[in-house]
Amino acid sequence: MSGSAPALEVVEPGMLLTVQDLGRHGFEHLGVPRAGAADTGSLTLANRLAGTEANAAALEATLLGPTLRILRDVTIGLAGADLAPVAHPGGRQLGIGRSHRLRAGEILECTEAGDADRGCRLYIAVQGGIDVPVVLGSRSTSLVGAFGGHRGRSLQAGDVLAAFDPGKGRASADATPETGTAADAGSTLAPPARSGEIRVLPGPAARETGGEQRLAALVATAWTVSVNSDRRGLRLDPDHDTASNDLAMPGDRPSFGVVPGAIQLTPSGQPIVLMPDGGVTGGYPVIAVVVRADQSRLGQLVPGAPLRFVRPDRHPSVIVRT
Amino acid sequence: MHPRVEPFGDAAVLITLADDATVEMAARANALARHIRVAAERAGRSWPSIVPAACSVLVQTGETPMPAALQTLEALADRVGPADDRWPADAPSVEVAVRYGRDDGPDLLAVAEATGLTPAQVVEAHASATYRVLFLGFAPGFAYLGALPPELVIPRRASPRVQVPAGSVAIAGSYTAVYPIDSPGGWHLIGMTGRHARGEGFDPAGVLMPGGIVRFVPERS
Repeated sequence: MSGSAPALEVVEPGMLLTVQDLGRHGFEHLGVPRAGAADTGSLTLANRLAGTEANAAALEATLLGPTLRILRDVTIGLAGADLAPVAHPGGRQLGIGRSHRLRAGEILECTEAGDADRGCRLYIAVQGGIDVPVVLGSRSTSLVGAFGGHRGRSLQAGDVLAAFDPGKGRASADATPETGTAADAGSTLAPPARSGEIRVLPGPAARETGGEQRLAALVATAWTVSVNSDRRGLRLDPDHDTASNDLAMPGDRPSFGVVPGAIQLTPSGQPIVLMPDGGVTGGYPVIAVVVRADQSRLGQLVPGAPLRFVRPDRHPSVIVRT
Repeated sequence: MHPRVEPFGDAAVLITLADDATVEMAARANALARHIRVAAERAGRSWPSIVPAACSVLVQTGETPMPAALQTLEALADRVGPADDRWPADAPSVEVAVRYGRDDGPDLLAVAEATGLTPAQVVEAHASATYRVLFLGFAPGFAYLGALPPELVIPRRASPRVQVPAGSVAIAGSYTAVYPIDSPGGWHLIGMTGRHARGEGFDPAGVLMPGGIVRFVPERS
């Protein structure tokens, strides 16, 4: 087993900076949510660009990105939202969807906030992967359970993160660290015109009396992501011209298992799209579930971003992109 | 009713055994979850997760195509029935010491008012029952215990609390629970146990597993 050494120091974490990998699978029956990257596609790409395994632990930055001090020469990969990181001294721009070689003493600073065009979450991966303990099979941070990742919490100024030594022969087969780009692995950050369309399939509540009408109302409504959204769930506000009264439902049915991407209807009529830190069971009716391939895009929706749902089972002409 | 086996998105299947949550249906769901896991192990495979709940089981399908998953799970769902409705008699048992009421149970008076009982009667009813861990959910290590005596059954709070301290003993609907970690919560807080120290985070070794027996014992103040 190769060693590890300090690689990054957090100077300023930004809005929410956590260590994540692809998530914690198989502990939902203990009430433990998956956690992991809200945009797994971008975390995977960032890792590959950094020349490390897809499931290596990396940093997830949210809306306002971090300022990091580089503690040793290191290759990083960047993917996801363009929070406009630059390297000091010199101020050179670090492009998203690329790998970069940074030198000890340099500062990485994010200079733009996320928005509906830039996206929400930037993934910063380090060659070798971030060295934090594996807890319940994953290095992801469980914010709800206060375990995993870096001490079970979000990163703060002064935190130092070590990365494993890549060792010989461990570079990823999918990307050359010095020249990798987004083209090979496929960026999940689609052009703005398409990024607001999320494919859904009917949930159990759609098969109940009145369910088809409710699902039709969900799909017909132009939604905006509410500011009351986080890694547990996206709350949605309707555009008033398309708002429907059909979507309020009582929430007291027997608890049943749910997954990230499930869309719950609540007594207030405000839908909740579950995200990786959301509860693993719930009593709210589930009217639809986001298809697995589109769940990464949920992780790039900022508060205020537009959102519409589409049904591939009703419109087979929708191009299925994986 | 015949089990409902339906896709839950394109990566999970929900098996609903009943529309009412009872102690027996939770046992049946737990048994079905075990059958599903064992059947997969015998085939040299595993599902990414199997989550039994009040009267249903959710199975994440991973790489298994949906039609094959539905077929396999339908066959397994057909095999559970009334014979699976009993929890094992020889289950691990734990006694939980509780300080009821006052600062330890800020909702005890409200529960008394809602149920028409005196606070002492609420405590007596809660502590006199023997509970089973029916399923885990909502938060890491959160065990739904049932069944609450019928005289204590009331809906959860109209507005949830932003923060419920770990160790809080709570009731809502036909369930009672001990909050294992600090978390938001909408249940009525009637007491506090020292079982979970605040701020320590989730401890998998401390989780009460389904089928376990739980009794609450009022602590003398």
